[in-house]
Amino acid sequence: MTPLSPRAPSSEFRLLAVPLVLFLLVFLGFPAIVNLVYSVSEVSFETLRRPEIKGFSNFTAVWNDASFWQASWFSFRFGLLTALLECALGLFLAIFLSPLIEKRSWLMAILMLPLMVAPALVGLMYRLVLHEFVGPVPYYLWTWFGANLSFLGPASAFWTLIVVETLQWTPFALLLFYMAYQAIPKEIVEASAMDGARYRHRLWYIELPLMAPTIVVALLIRFIDGFRVFDNVYVLTGSGPGGSTASLSIYIYEAFFKQGAIGKAVAASVILFVVSFAVLYGLNAVAARRKGVAR
Amino acid sequence: MINALRWIVFAVAAFAMNFPILVTLSTSFKSARELSTNPGLWVYAPTLENYATVFTVSDRLNIFLYLANSVAVAALGTLLAVALALPAAYAIGRGRLGERTLLPFIVNLRAVPLIIFAIPLYMMFQWLALLDTRLGLGLILTIVNLPLALVILVNAIRDLPGELDEAALMDGATRFQILTRVIAPLCRPAIVTSLIFGFITAWNEFLFGLMLTTSKAVPITVGASFFFAASGGGVQWGVASAVMIVGALPPMLLGLLMYRQISGSMTAGAVKG
Repeated sequence: MTPLSPRAPSSEFRLLAVPLVLFLLVFLGFPAIVNLVYSVSEVSFETLRRPEIKGFSNFTAVWNDASFWQASWFSFRFGLLTALLECALGLFLAIFLSPLIEKRSWLMAILMLPLMVAPALVGLMYRLVLHEFVGPVPYYLWTWFGANLSFLGPASAFWTLIVVETLQWTPFALLLFYMAYQAIPKEIVEASAMDGARYRHRLWYIELPLMAPTIVVALLIRFIDGFRVFDNVYVLTGSGPGGSTASLSIYIYEAFFKQGAIGKAVAASVILFVVSFAVLYGLNAVAARRKGVAR
Repeated sequence: MINALRWIVFAVAAFAMNFPILVTLSTSFKSARELSTNPGLWVYAPTLENYATVFTVSDRLNIFLYLANSVAVAALGTLLAVALALPAAYAIGRGRLGERTLLPFIVNLRAVPLIIFAIPLYMMFQWLALLDTRLGLGLILTIVNLPLALVILVNAIRDLPGELDEAALMDGATRFQILTRVIAPLCRPAIVTSLIFGFITAWNEFLFGLMLTTSKAVPITVGASFFFAASGGGVQWGVASAVMIVGALPPMLLGLLMYRQISGSMTAGAVKG
């Protein structure tokens, strides 16, 4: 690390960080307080500025709301399954395609393209892709296989969404893994080849263990992004059929905007806030300790 | 032999992952008549009439307004984020200020479900009359962009040799002067990367656009869905496709031009996040 000159006054550094801290206090600190106050208040759109403190009934309302648990379960399953699928596919593609991409990096640009499109627009695009009259997928399935599937019906909507999310975000995992694969020192690979290690042994005992930290990070990021999903699910299925595809984000949005249940929406936000920060700081602590051990 | 297999896998993966974009592109060139008979990928009689319709302003739909809104809010959300993050990144990277408090907090913001803050921000914006304004949406997009901008800039500043600062301090420069005259010019690649990445992220944002705007400040991601409910009798898929292509094109072009910088910054965010 940089040795600090003893003359350098840290007050100057403090001053430089002040704008950012003020901005965060106004746009996150204030909302966080509002969240806390409203979550223990009786409030409606009419009494928005005069909330009445009334205890924890909003929290019990959320706790006893079956659709809150349904949404939590959806978010968890969705995050877990998409993270696993994206990382498995991304890992395979990164390793299998790396000889091609090394020579022609524009191939990566093509594979990365889905990441550049707004998830909301991708969701809308799938409304076209899967449409029963104008969509090519039902059309080809029908003309080639005589199959007639309802992609957004109760039985299959969840899996359709999984595929939609996975196809858009696999490139993210692919990119991370490709970078990690390229970063493996060539000497290690060459040395193992000299020692007569077979390709699949080299992959399993040398390359994959070296990529393990990246794999963990990618799984984590993709789980988090899948867990908090909103855009593509919202435009593709709303929360239907029958609330079966409502993520937690959609649950809170609908409680607030569609049902006007402000207290419930805010209480659910507070729960999500506490849980996510607890989990994230827990992970930070684990990561910091592992780093300490490594040193 | 194995290389042929690699090319096949590449082609299948690229086709599958870009499939919705390809379908939408093809549909956007189909006339209403062709659409009713040909749902396939190939366009037999390509036409630009859908794009002409999209770029015609009507009482209800004004694509120029949505695009201008997206440009304005993405620009504000990106420039302000970098303007706030750069001095803070200098304080964190050099002054070791808030390395264990401010930095992890902001990095964690990248992972928090944003809906948590959406409702109080909605109320706050109502009081401040910021609902449905470009300023309001731009300020929120600043929060969305802050984590990655800060990580990229902190990393860039840590990579610069500390002797630069020492020498400038010897010459009697203040920290602020060092930041603007020495650090910022040297960090230009990192600044450009965070601007590009921030612009794409802000352009593609949907949730806050949906919640905080209704007509005057609607961005294209939200405005595009208006075209789905356009004229009474069901969705005009050709027109809807054209508007989606228009809305997706700016970040896609940016991405194609700058994919090297973008891939670098994605991994930066990932390694720290």
